[in-house]
Parts: sequence; C-alpha cells; structure tokens
Amino acid sequence: MKKVNALILTGFGLNCDEETAHAFELAGAASHKVHINELVSGKVSLSDFQILALGGGFSWGDDHGAGVIQALKMKNHMGQDLLSFVDEGKLIIGICNGFQALINIGLLPGFDRDYTRRNVSITYNDCGNFRNQWVRLAANPKSPCVFTKGIHLADYPVRHGEGKVIADQTVIDRLLAQNQVVFQYADAKGIPAKGAFPDNPNGSMADIAGICDPTGRIFGLMPHPEAYNHFTNHPDWPRKAEGLKRRGKSLEDEMTVGIRLFKNAVDYIEAAGL
Amino acid sequence: MIANIEIALKKELRDAEGLSLVKKAGSYFGITLQDARCIHILTLESDLDAKALERARDEIFTNPVTQVSSLGPLDLEFDWCIWVGFRPGVKDNPGATAMEAIRDHLGKTFEPHEGVYTSKRYCLKGETLVRADVEQLASELLSNSIIQQFRIFSKDGWDKTKGADVKPAKVILDRTPCFQIIGIYSDEALAKISDERNLALNKKDIPVIRDYFLSRAVLDSRKEKGLSKPTDVELEYISQARSDHCNHNTFRGVFRYRDGETGEETVENSLFKTYIQEPTLRLKDKKPWVVSVLWDNAGIGRFDDHNNYVITGETHNSPSNMEAYGGAITGIVGVYRDPMGTGLGSKLFMGSFGFCVGDVNYDGPLKPPLHPRRLLDGVIEGVKDGGNKSGVPTTFGQTLFNAGYMGKSLVFVTALGIMPDQVKGKPSHEKRTNPGDLIIMSGGRVGKDGIHGVTASSESYSENTPAGHVQIGDPYTQKKMHDFLLVCRDEGLIHYLTDNGGGGLSSSIGESARFSNGCVVDLDKVPLKYEGLDMWEIWVSESQERMTIAVKPEHLERFMALSAQHEVESTVIGEYTDSGKLHIQYRGETCAYVDMDLLDKGFPAWEFDAVWLSPETRGMTEPVISSPADFNRLLLHMLSRPNICSKEWIIRQYDHEVQGGSVIKPLTGVKYNIPSDACVTRPVLSSQKGLAFSQTLLPWYSRIDAYHMMTCTIDEAVRRLLAVGGDFGHIGGVDNFCWPNIQFDEKKNPDAKFKAAQLVRACRALKEACEKYEIPLLSGKDSMYVDGHLEGAFGERIKVSALETVQFSATSVIRDVSFCLTLDPKVSGDLVYVLGATANELGASEYYEVFDKTGVNVPRVDFEKFKVVYKALQTATENKLLASCHAVARGGLGIHLAHMAMAGGLGMEVDVSAVPKEVARSGLSHETLLFSESAGRFIVTLAPENKTVFEKLFKGLPASCIGRITDQHDHLKIAGLEKTSIIDLSITELETAFQKTFGDMI
Repeated sequence: MKKVNALILTGFGLNCDEETAHAFELAGAASHKVHINELVSGKVSLSDFQILALGGGFSWGDDHGAGVIQALKMKNHMGQDLLSFVDEGKLIIGICNGFQALINIGLLPGFDRDYTRRNVSITYNDCGNFRNQWVRLAANPKSPCVFTKGIHLADYPVRHGEGKVIADQTVIDRLLAQNQVVFQYADAKGIPAKGAFPDNPNGSMADIAGICDPTGRIFGLMPHPEAYNHFTNHPDWPRKAEGLKRRGKSLEDEMTVGIRLFKNAVDYIEAAGL
Repeated sequence: MIANIEIALKKELRDAEGLSLVKKAGSYFGITLQDARCIHILTLESDLDAKALERARDEIFTNPVTQVSSLGPLDLEFDWCIWVGFRPGVKDNPGATAMEAIRDHLGKTFEPHEGVYTSKRYCLKGETLVRADVEQLASELLSNSIIQQFRIFSKDGWDKTKGADVKPAKVILDRTPCFQIIGIYSDEALAKISDERNLALNKKDIPVIRDYFLSRAVLDSRKEKGLSKPTDVELEYISQARSDHCNHNTFRGVFRYRDGETGEETVENSLFKTYIQEPTLRLKDKKPWVVSVLWDNAGIGRFDDHNNYVITGETHNSPSNMEAYGGAITGIVGVYRDPMGTGLGSKLFMGSFGFCVGDVNYDGPLKPPLHPRRLLDGVIEGVKDGGNKSGVPTTFGQTLFNAGYMGKSLVFVTALGIMPDQVKGKPSHEKRTNPGDLIIMSGGRVGKDGIHGVTASSESYSENTPAGHVQIGDPYTQKKMHDFLLVCRDEGLIHYLTDNGGGGLSSSIGESARFSNGCVVDLDKVPLKYEGLDMWEIWVSESQERMTIAVKPEHLERFMALSAQHEVESTVIGEYTDSGKLHIQYRGETCAYVDMDLLDKGFPAWEFDAVWLSPETRGMTEPVISSPADFNRLLLHMLSRPNICSKEWIIRQYDHEVQGGSVIKPLTGVKYNIPSDACVTRPVLSSQKGLAFSQTLLPWYSRIDAYHMMTCTIDEAVRRLLAVGGDFGHIGGVDNFCWPNIQFDEKKNPDAKFKAAQLVRACRALKEACEKYEIPLLSGKDSMYVDGHLEGAFGERIKVSALETVQFSATSVIRDVSFCLTLDPKVSGDLVYVLGATANELGASEYYEVFDKTGVNVPRVDFEKFKVVYKALQTATENKLLASCHAVARGGLGIHLAHMAMAGGLGMEVDVSAVPKEVARSGLSHETLLFSESAGRFIVTLAPENKTVFEKLFKGLPASCIGRITDQHDHLKIAGLEKTSIIDLSITELETAFQKTFGDMI
C-alpha cells in the first residue's frame, strides 16, 4: 500500500521539523520536510500530501506575535490551497508555534467552518517567562479530534513563552460546548488543573492546551507530542524502567503516547482512503 | 515619510512585561509602582501612503483578539512615561522582521534610505513616583546607554498628539570610504600609530612588521600594485591575526617558571604545545574515535558508524560585562557558528551555559558597569533568546557566584553538532580551498559592529553615531543560514566553510586562503548595513551571523538558488588563488597586498615570569573551627547558599528538549527539580545511542593551588559522565580557561608572576589528568584579562580579579541509552553505597566558605586509585546492577545525600561513619565526613538482590554500604561516629531550604 504522505514545514526559524518528521515515520507515514518557500513558489504542491504539519519553532523570531507573520505569509500565498486541503477531508496539525499560526490564519477554531476568522489568541504565559516542563493532559473523550482517538491521558512537554489561550468568554464556552477543546492541562490524577500553576503552565483559560475545528481534522496544541517519540523522553522513565526491571519487564516495547497521536492521523487517512 | 505605529495589549489583559517591571522596581530599588503597561512602537521611514500604513497597522501588527493600536500615540494613562529605543546601528531584530512582513504583505520594496525601527514606551503609575525614581528605572533597569537611549515624560509634559515623536534610529556616516597609507619611519612612529588606532600591536612585533614592509623584495612586488608603505587595511589585518584572541600568544608564550621555595627554574616554551597539543595528538593515535582535533573551528569525535559529533566551547566575557543581554546572546549565537563551520558543516544539537557573576545582593561601594543582579538577569535572557530561537536545546548549565567575578563576569557557552561522516562519498571533516574557488559571504550584512575599540568618531555619542563594539545576536537570521548551509552541504556544494567571528573577514579569509595559498577580495562587493564604511572596517568588522564559504564556479547557480529559497543573502566577494598573496581591492584599486606567509615570519613569542609560592609558603593553614553542635541547621543553611541552592528558574527558561532527543534532562527526581549530574541526548533519533555531556567549575580551589583546581575539575566532569552511564573508554574534553592578567607590572599588576605560575600549574595538571584518564582535548579556548578596575566610594578605582577559572566540559558516547541512570533513589529497601574514599579535604570547600575561611587541605586526585573504581562502576552500570548513581561534588556527602533524598522522595537512613576513609590526612570529624569535598566519590543505590554481585565487583576497593532507602518515613537520617544521630530532616525541610533562595523567580 502507498504510504500516507505527511508534509512538515521548514524554514524561517521553524525548528521542530526533524523530530516531527521522525514521529510521522514511526507512525507509518512518509515524511517530507518542505521549505515554506517551496510551497509559495509552487515547486511543491500541497495537494500531493494528506497531512500537513506546522511544527514548533520561532517563525520570524516570534517578533510581532508568535506565529503572526507565518500566518500572514501562508494566508497570502497559499490561503486557497489550505482551504482546498481542508475541504478534501485531509488533516492539519499545528504544534506550539504551528498552533499559534493556525489560530492567526483562522483555521482554528473554524466556527461554522469559517476558516479565516481570528477569534482566539495565544499570548504570554502568566508566569511572565518561557517555560520548559512536562505537563499532564486530559483528553476530551467527546472531542471529534481524529488525532486523540483512544487517548485519555497524555504527558508531553511544553516549551513556550506564549502559550496562554485566551478569547472572549463566549468563544471559550462555545469551544467547550462543541467539544472542540481536545486537551486540558491536568493535575497528576488527570483532573483539569483549574488554572493552578504549574499544572497549568501558562494560565490558559479553561486549562486549554489544544483545540480542534468542528470536524476534528484540524488540530492545534501547545505541548509537543513529537518530543515524546522514544520511551527515554519521559522524565520518569528511569524510575519506571527500574520498577519494571524488578518485575522482569521492560519499558521499551510500548509505543509512546506521543507517537500514538501521529499514528491516529495516519490510520485515519488510510481508513478514509485519501 | 516617518510614521509611528503604537501597539499595546487591551487594558483588561495582563501585561506580563509591565508586571515584571513593577516587581523589579520594588525588589531592586524599593520603588513602588501601582501599575506599568508597555507600548510597542514601530517607526517606519518609507514612502508608504496612509492607506498602506493603515493596512500594515491593522493586518500585520495588530492582533484583533488581544491588542489595540494606533498610527498616533495611544492614550494610556500614566504618571510618568519612559521611552526606550536603540541607538543607531544596534541590531534591531524585530525591525528587520517587520520589514520582511511588510515586503511580503504589501509588496513593498525597501530602498536603502528606508527602514523600520522598534522601540518601547512604558506607562508608569505610582502616586509617590518622582523624576529621580523614573530616571533610575530608565537607566538601571530598562536601558543600557551603550546600546539604548531613553527619554522621560511627565504627565504634564506629555503632548497627546505628538507623543514620544520617535525618529528612525538610522546610521548616517556621510563620508566617502577610503584607505590610508601609514608612515612607518621608525619603530616609535609605528608604536604611536598602533596606540592611536587601537591596533594593540605588541612592542616586539613592530620591528618585524617594519622589516617586512621595508624589504626590497616586498617594496618591489607592492609597487606593481601601486603600493609602497603599508595601508591601514594591512596593519589591521596583522593586528587582528597577532591578537591574543586569534593567535593565543599567552598559551604559545615562553614562561620562566620558578619555584619560590627551592629556587628551581624551568622554562616552558609553549603551554599549548606541551600540555594540550602533544598529549592530545598522542591520544588521537590511541583512540580511533577521535576524528579531527586542534585545527578546525571545533573538534570532531565519532558518534556511530555513520555520524560524527562536533564540540567547542567559548566565552563572551567582556561584552557581557558591559551589555549583559547583548553580550550573552551574541555569545551563544556566535559559538553556534563554530560547529556549523566545522568540517563541511554540522547540524547543531545541543548547547550549554556557565555563568560566573558577583553577589546578586551586593550593596557595597564598588561600582561595576552592571550590578551583578542586573547582569545575571541579562545574561540569562540573552542565552534564552539565543538558544531557544536557534532551535537548539540548552541541556546543561551552571551558575556560580563569587565576589571576584564583579571585576569581570564570565559567560561560558558551549555548542555541539552532529554530521554524517561522509558527504558525497568524501570525509566530511576534511576541507580545503583551491585556486579558482569563489569566496562567498552568506548571512548578515556588515556594519561598524564589533570593530575593536571604538573609533574616534564615537568619542561623543550623537543621535546618529553607531554603537561600536557591543552587538546583539540575531538567532533568526542565523537559523535560516544554518538550514540553508546543511542543504548545500548535502548536495556537495561546499568545499570549505568557516564562520566570521573575531576578526571578521580578516580572519575567515586570511585563514582559509592559506590552503589555496592566496586570494583576491573585492571589498566593494561586501553587502553593507549602511554606506560609508572604510575598507579596513569592512575587512575587520565582526558583524554577526556570517559565514565564509568556498564554492566552485560550476556550483554557483545552484548555491545561489538555494540561498534565495531560504531567504539568506549570499554574495561572491572574491576568489581563492595560488598567488601566495592576500590581495584586497576596492573598486579595482588595491588596498592590501601582502604575502600569505607574512604571519609566519619570525614574530617573537610573548614572555612571562612565573613564580610559584606554595600555600604553606603563603602562610595558609587550616582554620580553627570546633565541631558544630547543630548539623540540621547547618545543612539547611548550606542548601540555601547561592552556590548550592536550586537554580531551577534558569534551567526552565531554556528549551532543553527541542529536537526530540532528550534522555537525561538537566533536572531530575520525582518533582523534576534536582540538578542532574550530566545530560544525555540522542542526536540521531533513529539510534539507541546517546551522547552524555557534563561540565564542571571549581574555581574556589585556585585559592590554594590551581593545579588541584584543574585535576579536581576534570575528575568531577568525568564522574558526572559516569554517573549517568558514560563510557570511561570514550571521554572527550574541552578546556575553557579564564585567567586574570599575568603580564607583570610593578604598579598595575604586582601579583602577575604568581598568577602566571598558577596558569603553568593548571596546564601541567590538565596534561596529567588527560593522560591518566585518556581524555583527548577536542577543543579549548582561553580568555585572559578577567579583571576589572571598579570605582569605589571615594572616587578611587580598585582592581578586582576573578578567580583563576577553568570550565571543563566532557563528552561520552553511550552505546544504549536504556542503560542510563539518574541520581534519584527509586525503590524502598534499596541499599546505599559510597564509592571512593573520604579524606580530610575541606580546603576551599563550601563548608569553609560558610565561615569565610579557606584552609589548605585542598582535595587531591589520585588518578591510579580512582580509575579502578571508575572501571568497576562502569561494569556495574553495564550489568544494570544500580538503581541510581550520583557523583559527590561541591558541598560533599551532606549536600549530595540531600540531593538524592529530595530527588527520590523516599526516606534515607545512612551512617556516614561507615564511608570508605582515607587516613593519610587523618581526623575525620562529623563535619569532614559530611562536607569534605574529596574527589573520586559516588553515592549509588541498588536492589538488595544485587548486593553480592556488586560487592564482589568492588572487592578490595573503597566501597561501603552506608544505609538504605525506606518508604517508612520521608526523612534524611544521618548517623555519625558511634551511631549518634547528626541529621534528621524531612524532605520538605530540605526542599524548602534548597528552593527558598531564588524560589520567587520563575
């Protein structure tokens, strides 16, 4: 069977392309790292791919708002291609800087399938600083998001200075009501953090860590699933491994919940026959 | 036309930057602000019409959800307002990206005289605020006069329609570039010129330079190009190449070393050759994993069958001392160009930092250029922006406080890259330039940045005077260049590349042209930030984010196409030749024409006198301190001391996991808040192999003897690697020396001879340690002159020198990362062992520092004895016998048992009197057992079922079981001699002490 083709954007200060490509490969896709200007110039056509990944990084140095100039550039040069991509039932994931870009393009939250409206923002962390820490995420079982199917809890790292999701309360309420809130920052037990730092690392409204569009095929999140591509990425791994060793077992055989997320996407495309 | 766009967060939103200002105003200066809001200002000088400006404001620069903006001043209330903007010529990164955005969105092409500049306005509210307070905030917190300017507006003095009326921070030099012929009629004349032009030529170099230019053959050959006497471009070239920075004159100098007691004298002909080069070359022969050392921008070691790793370390002390943020960001972004420019280019995969600063709470009379507190804030932020925006994880780092660093602070930055061992079937670590290759400069443009000293034009700052030597790194431009060059490398388009750092084109072309043996450079082709630079300035400017690349003419088209795709500026500026001449032209006119081998022509070595006085001769003794009665309180006090306590707040600001290869993170334990011994990264994601990295700084020991400082530093770096599972058979090292001035001067530097002797001893120790532990030095750098002359209370200036400091970095390749270990005890019932002997070695320890004492019993490294233990430990790791492992470092067993207890979150019951002891320096009191900093030691925990195998492995070695891990309580319980309880503290108590010092920093 032909492999699912995932396009991972590169260039202009984006920086998580290597591990995002690796994660898609582990999930069974063929990964293609493509410079934004290759899409702009038409050298590479978006329509040849089934999954588009906007990865983490500091596009344009994050000057003038995280993901803002990237969003503008993509909207100006491939706005129509993006809308067709969505129309064809394909998948888009935005991680960290990519999530910020999706919000600024308007692909998220995509209320009423209007993919050009900016009504959510991701702004500076309440703690006032960039922060790298692992967070526990509670997945919304009712969310239509195809990426998180079968995932209940996930531990991923956050690494951002601007990760606080804010919007008018009506927008937040609607996101919650339509089950577009996919991941919420949670405590050790998996219960939403209710804003408590550091479980909620940035002060996001409603503990929002990730949202999807109403179809569940466009997904954006601040934490980095691709950074959990190997069992040794998790900060608890030496302790877990030691516990398992005493019972004659090993950590190494399980797929990480990071790769699971990408595999869900690949499985979806395969099932949809796109 | 000039337009200002003002942008602010909507008033109901939290302004993190404003809140941080409120907090710092209170805690640093006791100034109470009720509120502070920040306004970002974009100043556009362009031909954009009102409609286009409105589109830019609305569609590009205003977030509809969070921001408000205006093409005039925003009407935010304030009692006082501070405007802060860059001085002309200072790198304005957001200004540059704003132009990119406008170009893309509005299709606007910016002409050379047009531009976008950013600045900020802080609206302060405070009922009690007076102008003096506001001036203090502006000058000591919000701006640095070296790179920024500020203006203050009172509520009454504010014109709501005019606002801050910001003008473009534009450089206008308004002069015709030229070069000058320099008269060299006598040595004195040249010496005078050297002083006037800040060439810093060594007195002994002057006759050599004159002889060269006055020789018949040289005069004849120059005549053909229309030259006679040397030009300023040529003298600048020589000055750069002969500088201590480029030529390492100190380490290549002659030292007359005399032992003050015995009178015995030895002559050291080159510390570099004897103690660094020779042992490393010998080890290279012995260790097949050493790929390339001692010549390129960084050293190269083998990682696996298909990949090599690249490492180097740098310091960026002087600039950081003046402008902390700019210095540190330029430092980290700059060191990242070294692996990029090693071999045919490597991909960066990790970086680290080391900060050495004065007391952050200093309130004495001395006035350093920046208060240590402000300096630390700035360097932390500089490495944060530089590292994070480069997309390179900062996986390790240390911060150290000592009064000596107020004279000059130290900022260490280290960079590691990974590269395929072959490019198009050829070894990637080999490179050379060939006649006919084009010389290409890629990346940033050239301005007056980083030109040595500051020229006469900067005697007084005018509105349009560029800010000379202090720069601000631009990780965004460099990241684009990094990605671009890796694509070119893989396509086989690069034949040589190197970075433009110290010395700019003068160094990068001067050095690369040695392979082909000549070059012709057209300086007028070099893209400039602004017009009006003289030729010599273009030639030696250290403007950042630039690489010099040799490309074959047949590859030019493809190279340029990729350059355009990545939006990186690349320009052909000349050609490599085999003429034997360095030939520089400007619009066809020759402005430099010297022999390529000029620098090999008998320049004399620098000379130093070194006199060693042993600590005993210096009258140093052990202090007289009776045994403390309350060890609980003492341990808590020590845990909270700045050099021991948690610096989690710094580490968390650094992305330490980008690129997805994190295995052992900088923080570990159940609460992820205890510093790891070392970090481990998988640079090749498809591989199980890992690269372990550690760094150590122990400058305190230099107070007694820099020899032992060096051996202990290396020993600790090695133990840190072994603690995470490193391979003792593969350890690479990087030495970064930071030393006070050692050039003797009766008045200005009376103790130079002793400091010179300390340097010789440190080098001897370096060689011994590297030979005994078989550590090739993959890279290394020296930074001399870590002194400052600080103004005191009465207008006097006092010289403050930093401790003789070496940061040692160590690497090891781990075959399978699933064997890696962390320091946290993991299972109740596990046994606790101490490996390595504890001796009465409290000299220069943290314990003595508590009482402001130094002592004399500095820890010593017994390489032969330690090696046996290290090999046994490695066997234990390879057989998965251990559950945790921790190297005992600063603060001794007391501090490091506490680290383990906090990390494990489990109870620990140990008897320190059971540890292996070294009786040679007898008298092991409780404080010695707890706080002696003897080298060579580890604490490990293991499952009881591994006891027999483990003890068999360590039979006859210093290794004792001292207790166990328990879940029956959560205390660290330490018993001492005769089973007395000396410490009983809960983990919460330990954590509170460990976290409180910097606990409110996030």
